[in-house]
Amino acid sequence: MNQTNSLPVNPPANYETSAWKWMRYSAFLLIPLVWGHIILQDVVVGVHAIGNDPLGYVAQRWASYGWRIYDALLLGFAFAHGVNGLRQVAQDVIHKPVARKILNWGLFFFWLVITLVGAVALIAGVRQMP
Amino acid sequence: MSSLKTTMTGYATYRGREGQWAFLLHRLCGLGTGLFLTVHIVDTALVYLAPKLYIEVINLYQTTLFGIGEIFLIFCVFFHGVNGLRIAAFDLFRPQNWSIPVARASTRLTLIISLVLWVPAAVWMARNILIHNFGLFGG
Repeated sequence: MNQTNSLPVNPPANYETSAWKWMRYSAFLLIPLVWGHIILQDVVVGVHAIGNDPLGYVAQRWASYGWRIYDALLLGFAFAHGVNGLRQVAQDVIHKPVARKILNWGLFFFWLVITLVGAVALIAGVRQMP
Repeated sequence: MSSLKTTMTGYATYRGREGQWAFLLHRLCGLGTGLFLTVHIVDTALVYLAPKLYIEVINLYQTTLFGIGEIFLIFCVFFHGVNGLRIAAFDLFRPQNWSIPVARASTRLTLIISLVLWVPAAVWMARNILIHNFGLFGG
């Protein structure tokens, strides 16, 4: 029972294999990115500390291009990882090729729209209120 | 929809012990984190799209209910991260570790590491809620 006989397999070089690898490679990058983000924002700073002037807080943070790049990496890697994870979970219950095609395209557009919404704000920055 | 029922019954009744629990918790935490991530991208985009609404959202996030949700979210992020590292490391570098004894021991270790990371953070966040929402500890 202590040993598993490993069976060498040669997975085809298709989209699903790339997605499988992507989930694992992105995990290594997401550990420092996401943990850094939540430890800083949720624990060290905390949502109450930014409450007096939330827009000012974001504007100050995004005044640094370093933080904007950090947030862009979070947006790019974390959300793609999440949507592909959702796709994997959904494929446990969606088996028909046509339904999977609809699922894949639906989630692709969902990913695209939300990513673009985030990217617009990240590039444009905080809107000055009159 | 029978496929959904079959899958859910399988999730609930398969007696895989630690390996199965890790699988279920990984998915639950991943889906929970993904749900909040989607909301969070949109709420952050409000700083440009509707700045006044952004202030409302941050006020909502400061409520006790959302504070408790945030503490659960942090657990999800830590567990999903530690367990994800375990999966990625085994799959990519140590496939021979996918045996029942190693899966059980490594799952228990994963949970311990997650709790070590989470408990101090949770205590600190709970303290913040008590200070700001209940006026305790000199708030």
